[in-house]
Amino acid sequence: MTLDERINYLTERATRLLARSFSRRAMLSRFGLMLTGAAVLPLLPVRRGALAATVQQTDDPTHCDYWKYCAIDGFLCACCGGSSHSCPPGTDQSPITWIGTCHNPFDGRDYLMSYNDCCGKTSCGSCTCNRNEGEKPMYRLSLNNDVNWCLANDNPNYHCSVSVVLGVAEKP
Amino acid sequence: MRPFKHFLILPVTLCFTLVHGACAREPLAAETLTQETLTVPYPAHTVFIYDEAFNNEIDSRVVVFDADHQRRLGQIDSGYYPNVAVSPDHLEFAVATTYWSRGGHGTRSDVVEFWDLKTLRIKNEIVLPNTRLQGPPTLYHLAYSKDGKFLYSHALTPASSWTVVDLTSRKVVTDIDTDGCVQVIPSLNRRMTGICENGRLLSVTLDDSGHEQSRVQSDVFFDDSKDPVFIQAIPTDVGVAFLSHHGQVREVDLSSQDVRIKKSWSIIGAQDQQWRPGGTQMGAWHAGLHRFFVQMHIGKDGSHKDGGSEVWVFDTVSHNRVARFVIDTKRYGEVLATQVTSDRKPLLILATSQAKVLTLDAGSGQILHVKTELGQTPWYVVNP
Repeated sequence: MTLDERINYLTERATRLLARSFSRRAMLSRFGLMLTGAAVLPLLPVRRGALAATVQQTDDPTHCDYWKYCAIDGFLCACCGGSSHSCPPGTDQSPITWIGTCHNPFDGRDYLMSYNDCCGKTSCGSCTCNRNEGEKPMYRLSLNNDVNWCLANDNPNYHCSVSVVLGVAEKP
Repeated sequence: MRPFKHFLILPVTLCFTLVHGACAREPLAAETLTQETLTVPYPAHTVFIYDEAFNNEIDSRVVVFDADHQRRLGQIDSGYYPNVAVSPDHLEFAVATTYWSRGGHGTRSDVVEFWDLKTLRIKNEIVLPNTRLQGPPTLYHLAYSKDGKFLYSHALTPASSWTVVDLTSRKVVTDIDTDGCVQVIPSLNRRMTGICENGRLLSVTLDDSGHEQSRVQSDVFFDDSKDPVFIQAIPTDVGVAFLSHHGQVREVDLSSQDVRIKKSWSIIGAQDQQWRPGGTQMGAWHAGLHRFFVQMHIGKDGSHKDGGSEVWVFDTVSHNRVARFVIDTKRYGEVLATQVTSDRKPLLILATSQAKVLTLDAGSGQILHVKTELGQTPWYVVNP
């Protein structure tokens, strides 16, 4: 295992252990910690997006091949009244999320991304996007985009997905 | 000849003209409105087509489909992101789902509904905690115990657990922490098995009251940082088979107290290195004929949800590939789901990205029928 892979693995492992160690009865505590975990993630050295460089990408956030969407499987909020990083009116952000790293071909940098679902209304139904670079099966939950990440919302109806830049991914 | 023709034409014309006259048939008898029911258990070629209804997910449905006659026999309403299972006696269909009191909003209610497969009506229901896993379908998000006394429902909050429901008292018994492992594969009478991030299987055995009695982890059998294993376990005669993103097959024997993982084998030959399995339901196993069907595409890392342009057929004993069924993807779409019926003259049922359901002769690969309008996003096919 290379240093890159090792750091990568340890980071994800720490995130996974954090999520797994919560008592299922301590809901507020858990979600608070998940938010805290999400907040510190930009400081962590994660690099996983080299794959994205092989995809012909655009700078149009209403298209699935927009560089920020390298691990979105769902409807693009930019086509549903929101943008690539904002939820449509009347929907609620998911407080928990999956993460990944996308390569921006326009500046040559890798960025750590937080993928959030926008929740509380039924499916948007526009701009279906299914990209899975770096996506992992459900046993690697923090890297999985199959789960309905609205699950912790008051209304867990899935509407659409956004991709939020958390920061430049540091390269070890 | 001409006079003879005129001789015939006149009376025929009169009969058509005077439909209600002397030449007309007897009037139709009055009809009685009747109610259809189905014969249970269903024959092998009647399958369930799972429509996620992705564009309006609160209205998913499962279609009962006669693949021989290409007839839609009925419908099971299944709510939002449902998890489904057929009872061991094949007479009942469980749907674990979510509703809101005002359509897409209001009070949330998670419930498992039990459908009578003869009448296609809901017999009864059991209310679940509002923690049910919501995600794309697999065969093992919901499962009956082998003896039909318990139902296991996968929960995710995001902590992963198995909710145990007693089908005699019709109450939730307990919630079993899975330590992040997912899927709930039933075996023996009281055992559940899931697949874990650490590359192992977790098996939990219950006592007769439905509470955890013991748990055991298998040896490590995959490394998800190198070659992740799809969670969609594929039923075999003695357990399940797992397929990895790079085409490794791991058969798991769940027929005895020891969970045995057999030596892996590959479906990717030296000349096939660009090929990958993928989609939503990657393959199907026919134990009697020793055949394994897998939908394949030319892909790379990250293409693991892409549908197939071919279905490859393997001998489950020799592990040799015995056939390749090429699918015209422009005409039919990519293959997202593959299922094979369990009888001796099996049909291969494929659901595609164009929402078409193809019925093939599983032996020759010949496409026998193409059916549309069985749902907007048919992502899974379940045997009866």
